[in-house]
Amino acid sequence: MLSADFVIATAVGYVGLLFVLAYLGDRRARSNKKSFLHSPAVYTLSISVYCTSWTFYGAVGNAARSGLEFLTIYLGPTLVFVGWWFLLRRLVRISHNQRITSVADLLSSRFGKSSRLAVLITCIAVIGIAPYIALQLKAVTSSIQAVAGSSEFGQGSLKGIDDVGLAFGVAAGMALFTILFGTRHVDAKEQHHGVVAAIAFEAVVKLAALLAVGIFVVFVGGGFENIFSRAAEAGITVDSENTFDARWLTTMALSVAAIVCLPRQFQVTVVENSNENYLKVASWAFPAYMLLMSLFILPIAVFGLTTMPAGSNPDMFALTLPMAFGQDALALFAFIGGFSSATSMIILESIALSIMVSNHIVMPLVLRFSSAGTGDGQGVTSMVLMARRFSIVLILSLGFFYFFFTRDSNALAPIGLISFTAIAQFFPAVIAALFWREASLKAATAAIAAGFVFWVWCSFLPSFESVSPHVAWLLQHGPWGISWLRPEAMFGLDGMDQLAHAAFWSLSVNILILTVGSLLTSQSALERIQASVFVDVFRRGQVTRGNFVLGSATANDLYFVAERVLGERRAAAVFAAEAYDAGVDPDMLEPSQDFIGRLERELAGSIGAASAHVMLSKVVSGSDVSLEEMMQMADETQQVIEYSQQLEKTSAELRSTAQQLEDANAQLRELDSQKDEFLSQVSHEVRTPMTSIRSFSEILLETGDLPDGQRRHFVSTIHQESLRLTKLLDEILDLSALERGERSWENLPVDPEAALDRALTVCEALLRQRGVVLRRGQRAAPSIVEGDADRLCQVFINVISNAIKYNDSDTPVLAVTSSIRAGKYIVEIADNGPGIARQERKLIFEKFSRGQRAVGDQSGAGLGLAISRQIVTRMNGSLDLVQGSLPGACFRIRLALRR
Amino acid sequence: MLLLTVLGALLMMPPLVYVFDQPIFHFGIPQIVFYLFVLWLLLIIGTALLARALPNDDSTDSGDGDR
Repeated sequence: MLSADFVIATAVGYVGLLFVLAYLGDRRARSNKKSFLHSPAVYTLSISVYCTSWTFYGAVGNAARSGLEFLTIYLGPTLVFVGWWFLLRRLVRISHNQRITSVADLLSSRFGKSSRLAVLITCIAVIGIAPYIALQLKAVTSSIQAVAGSSEFGQGSLKGIDDVGLAFGVAAGMALFTILFGTRHVDAKEQHHGVVAAIAFEAVVKLAALLAVGIFVVFVGGGFENIFSRAAEAGITVDSENTFDARWLTTMALSVAAIVCLPRQFQVTVVENSNENYLKVASWAFPAYMLLMSLFILPIAVFGLTTMPAGSNPDMFALTLPMAFGQDALALFAFIGGFSSATSMIILESIALSIMVSNHIVMPLVLRFSSAGTGDGQGVTSMVLMARRFSIVLILSLGFFYFFFTRDSNALAPIGLISFTAIAQFFPAVIAALFWREASLKAATAAIAAGFVFWVWCSFLPSFESVSPHVAWLLQHGPWGISWLRPEAMFGLDGMDQLAHAAFWSLSVNILILTVGSLLTSQSALERIQASVFVDVFRRGQVTRGNFVLGSATANDLYFVAERVLGERRAAAVFAAEAYDAGVDPDMLEPSQDFIGRLERELAGSIGAASAHVMLSKVVSGSDVSLEEMMQMADETQQVIEYSQQLEKTSAELRSTAQQLEDANAQLRELDSQKDEFLSQVSHEVRTPMTSIRSFSEILLETGDLPDGQRRHFVSTIHQESLRLTKLLDEILDLSALERGERSWENLPVDPEAALDRALTVCEALLRQRGVVLRRGQRAAPSIVEGDADRLCQVFINVISNAIKYNDSDTPVLAVTSSIRAGKYIVEIADNGPGIARQERKLIFEKFSRGQRAVGDQSGAGLGLAISRQIVTRMNGSLDLVQGSLPGACFRIRLALRR
Repeated sequence: MLLLTVLGALLMMPPLVYVFDQPIFHFGIPQIVFYLFVLWLLLIIGTALLARALPNDDSTDSGDGDR
């Protein structure tokens, strides 16, 4: 015999296990992206949070009371997943692109980032989900009561605690658990890997439990056939006469809406999706899961009706049947299964709702009453977490109060359908948001509000009938006795099923206002932009325009905001990545249009689209673009997409023109700075010989009686310096003329071999003077290139004399080879000198740069290589420093052969 | 895929569902129950086959690489 204490202890132990799982799951997901947690299987199992205790207990009760109707709750979602390609795929793609975090976020983002709409939806969701949470509390409470109430001994410590106290305990425990679990940190994408891991585990547990009970029942009942035939004898048949009526259609439609719009379903299906391809697996695996869940529901219900005493609660058959047959272990397993289905729903639903509340109600208020740019780095994060904790408590309290007021109502399923009807009010707007460009904010807001009012009147209010005599009277006679306003027979529509009636009126009014309203009202520019982003998501890829003009926002201001919301580490990472892309230093980052848009999406992940927009609007002064500008932008986008490739081409041309202008400008600026540098270098170079000339001539002038030898020495120094100066000036003139293209020459066919020989002849004296051994390597066959013979010779002389002058080896060697490779004439001039240091390899071709190891008596101005490179370039060749055959430097001259 | 969705929806709704709503038993199970479950199973199999035929979409793997 099970005792209540034992069952409760088991439940608490089970919750502890979940906690450990979630903790490990979080750690694992963080440390390892490729862990099994990121798999389609886990994704599918987490979607199974759709099957709550409504499925586990309520569906059996529903089947016992009204036959096949329970199936619609699973057939509707099956249809949605079978057609995943049209709806879910689009939803997931948009949400990934726009960093959507909830249904409220989705709709507010689509309808011009309206925070009012987000608030409305959040409020409706919180109120509408209360009955659903109450249902879970009721199921858990009833199941504990079912175990405990079966015997005197079973009561244990529950003696004297009624179901209200018990439900309160359950609610408090759940709130605590959810807070510990779901509000540990703020994630930019609102993904909770740990929670999802725990939910997936629970999905397995509840399925296994229900299957175990089902198999047991079929086994005890002697097979399907026996069960159904025995039931038929007892006068119990599966009533299909009245099943397929308005109610069948209604529940089917409501469940279609619920699988998309329920906050927890949106959370697991869309927000927690880390890879679109997982949908492909979920599209068949999730319906299969539901099929397995429903497989034994009918046999359990029918068998329960035939064997259990009359008046026992059919909702609890899954638990009471094993107990009736003395199968305590199985009963405990069933209890844990039911408990699983309730806890997973409560945890995820309250997390999803708390995200909505904190992102759309608390944060905007905080932003409105505080100025962006104050507060410490962690301020917003901790505020968000506090807001979430409070909203979790609030949500569970609402659920508990609803339970408290309606605890006398019997069945579970009808309570759930009240919530479904409320949540279904979002569905028309969601569909319009995804597919209908003209849907406007005013219409959507009015439609949802009107649908909600009808829901309160026709569905929510009547659920208090048993509690309040006032409500009962109102249902009977209508407000102030106006009978055509009776909540269950609006406008005289009498005799309709209450659920179908409520769903019909609320959704009809909703859809009517949405369509007619959208046709009558006009959209704002921002709405129009967002509409095209949503509707054309597959047509335009990832293009999302930022909706800001650059005001006086500095990267610093933006960083401040980002730091407050994202925390220091992530903000720094975002900015560093941006700076890296732009190729600038993070401190020099100029906030661009794109970057602000990206930042907005990043923030939207943490605080919702509307809040992020408000926040950045505050920072980026000049906040939003003027209406006309936006109109133009939106229209242009649309035209580009829909009608004219022309515009796109024009804009591409404009872009390239602008790019060219920019390039030209940059080049000019570069040249300008080069000129300045060149001038200062030239003056420096000229100054040195001038100084020595001046000082020596002054000495000569002032001192009349110098020894002859000294005088001669001074004069010859002056002469040498003047020669050097002349040479330098010649070189400078030559170089600048070359660069400006003034000293142009006709590229004529010349024989480079002859030029090389001539250069070697010229350098022979220098070679001998320095005692350099000339090693003549292989030489190319006589060939013809385009160029100028004298200039080419000049280049060779330059390079060869460099190789000689800078060679400080004891046995200096110079190797000259030439060859023809791949249609190019190539000369390599190598030496065994000190070589050129790595950091100088780029510099040596610059003006006035001499190698660091220039030997003292170097008289070059450092222009030789610069001139040579200019010349070779003019001949359509190249002069490079390469790895040569000797340890020193090696220059390679390449010229194209004449064809 | 669209066809499968629409067909599935039509077959679950009145009036088509009435066609199978007869008090006949297969394997001891009422025909209508049997029909609905088989239809469901066929939808699942059809979706699985279709999903397999689709190429993987690599353009948007939005794993959380930014953390």
